[in-house]
Amino acid sequence: MVSVAFINPLSVEGRQVVREMGNLDSFREENGDIINVVIHTRSQDISDEESIPHNYLDLAVKRLEWYIKKRNDPNFDYNKYSFLFNYKITRFDVISFYLLCQAVGVKFGPNSRESRAMVESQGKLMESRLSEFSRIDREELIKKILDSLLNDERVKWTFFEDILSSHKLKLEDLVMDHGNIILNKEDFIESFSSKIQHRDPDKIYNMMIGDKIKELIMNRMIMQKTEDYIYKVHQKSRREIEPNPILLELAEKVSNVLSESFTSYGYKVGVNGEVKAAPLNSNAFPPCVKLVLEGMKSGGRNDAIILFFTPFVSYARLYPDVFRKNVTVKVSDVDPNLSVVQNEILPLVYGAAEQCTPPLFEDQPQEKVNINAKLGFGMHTTVDLKHEGESIWYTPMSCEKVKLHLPSLCKPDKTCKRIGNPLSYYIRKLWESGETNGDHEGNEE
Amino acid sequence: MVENHHLKPATTEERRIYYREEWNVEEIPDFIKNSLDKREFGFDHLGRGPNDRYRVFGSLDLLRKFLRYRTPFAAYSSVAFYEKPRRRDGWIKSELVFDVDAKDIPLRKCNCKGVCEVCLNQAQEIVCSLMDILEGDLGLNDIHVIYSGRGYHLRVLDESVMKMSSEVRGQIVKYIIGAEVPQSEYAGDGMTYKLEHFSLPFGYPQVFTERVKYAILHITESTEIDGVNNKLLKDVIKYCKYINDDEWGLFRGKVGPIRYQRLIKGIASLNMGWVDAKVSIDLKRILRLPSSLHSMVSMKCMEVNNLENFDPFRDAVPRFVYERK
Repeated sequence: MVSVAFINPLSVEGRQVVREMGNLDSFREENGDIINVVIHTRSQDISDEESIPHNYLDLAVKRLEWYIKKRNDPNFDYNKYSFLFNYKITRFDVISFYLLCQAVGVKFGPNSRESRAMVESQGKLMESRLSEFSRIDREELIKKILDSLLNDERVKWTFFEDILSSHKLKLEDLVMDHGNIILNKEDFIESFSSKIQHRDPDKIYNMMIGDKIKELIMNRMIMQKTEDYIYKVHQKSRREIEPNPILLELAEKVSNVLSESFTSYGYKVGVNGEVKAAPLNSNAFPPCVKLVLEGMKSGGRNDAIILFFTPFVSYARLYPDVFRKNVTVKVSDVDPNLSVVQNEILPLVYGAAEQCTPPLFEDQPQEKVNINAKLGFGMHTTVDLKHEGESIWYTPMSCEKVKLHLPSLCKPDKTCKRIGNPLSYYIRKLWESGETNGDHEGNEE
Repeated sequence: MVENHHLKPATTEERRIYYREEWNVEEIPDFIKNSLDKREFGFDHLGRGPNDRYRVFGSLDLLRKFLRYRTPFAAYSSVAFYEKPRRRDGWIKSELVFDVDAKDIPLRKCNCKGVCEVCLNQAQEIVCSLMDILEGDLGLNDIHVIYSGRGYHLRVLDESVMKMSSEVRGQIVKYIIGAEVPQSEYAGDGMTYKLEHFSLPFGYPQVFTERVKYAILHITESTEIDGVNNKLLKDVIKYCKYINDDEWGLFRGKVGPIRYQRLIKGIASLNMGWVDAKVSIDLKRILRLPSSLHSMVSMKCMEVNNLENFDPFRDAVPRFVYERK
């Protein structure tokens, strides 16, 4: 039987594997056992030496690379990564998982793109691995893992606060009755069979819940635990003086894998995948931003101009890379003499405010101060360097927040489907029109 | 019972009469009285918004004296509990709140400019259905209904949700109002099945079905729904009798499956208007204090113990309104 650690490296079995391991220094040495498992995996491509991990660090990199390439590379070759689906790799895979989490935690922290990639890759890997099992084996594995994750048969939805909060799970995905999540057929029949007419409740259960929701919950819980583990490592590393060089070496490799993916397949193009600051291109604005420019009606004006539009245009113009770089900056770090703010951003914001019905500043002139505050210059009537830092430079609202705060603005088009933030939409559109490349270096502020 | 047009703004003198002769501090609900020292209070003295904030009252008597003496235009208290409410510091937890404002709900049957009996009744229907989902699906207890003066506040003090983040609260809002079209393809026994939301009488599909039904039965020719043109609107009105009879398959057939998808997508977007989601996700919001006066409409903001029998035009009108000449 396959070890649950093959799916959940954070399980008791997984942790046991880690405890049995030697010190980190051996992890970059060639490991015959790893190579042996890889080359004896059915359908594994061994013609290319590059495809074969030779040690734990290689394996860790391959683990992440599989996810990035599978997601982005139209020529993705499954056979180069077949070993990841061979359960005999479990012991080595578990170690590589912990190495990756620690490297990401130590070097980049829990809110980094590296952390996101690591967590998402774990989710996808679990999903893909489970899909290779027979139905019976899959059911058994999921049951075993869920039993260890959930303490009680009756689980309240509130138990999943963390995964709901991080949007790994949607409340709509769950079937609930008086707060209890319905996972078992008996509970389902008891709660809902009297309501179901002209259909077989058993079949409905299998379709709507069956293994699907159980697998989803299991998957998301493990993703959340992976994120939590990275967070713990990060917290711990801040108290320690010197991180292990092996982890730093792996972190560098992880960063390279992601950067390479951005330059090869992604839209975040430039030196090391950077997006340079450049004059705004209104053609690339998402539908929500275009709607604000057309003018807002009374009621949504303040939030639209101050909370939504001001952060969007300021970041799109001055620091479009904010989410990728994940480094907090001040406006003056990217616009030292505030000339762009004064000559481009504020006029654009004021113009949008003027378009409102009635014009925003006509009845609420005090809102100019709030605009300055959202740019990080405190509650003052002018944008002045001496006040910078009195408030924070608000990052652009996510699509999720726009839907809740300003539902009338959310009129998604096709591009929106793949986007979680209006700023990402803008960058994607620029990339599609070929505007985010090294040529923009000359325009950088 | 008063007529709608009597509900004009209260004068300074009327506010004074209300707080000194009619208002009773004991009418503040227990859920606020019992946590008085953990909440921030805010006041609007001039009718320009609550700019007197960060107030704290160590006892009910101090609050009573303040209101009697200052007779504010509006009084508010925080949904949040703080260690140091005077500085809004040391957040402990917040009520989960849903704000149904009769003047802002979509598909209003009336065309009134403010609020009237018709749209307040609609708001009441919505509150009832939200409560059903909060209790039936999410299993929440300790839910209080407050008539705000222009609509209703649903205030949930169930400990299991009070520490939850804005993100989870956002998910709860979207669930109970039906803001997303449910999936319609399900896999089972190696096959993929297509099942529309109306075929599944439980869980989120049922919530969504109820919302779609309500919307379809309230659509008029002047209704604006994203992605729905006049022709489709007319057909929806023409065939809505099927929805009234819960003949969803027939309705979908008459409208056409592609246009049906467009319709429910538009309704999902429209559903975002049933509550003010900003209020629900704000952990530090201040809300109108139950028992206080909504001076703009001269109505009492009050806890409603029996929603079905509650009539704001009978139960929430201060005495001074009846005495107006």
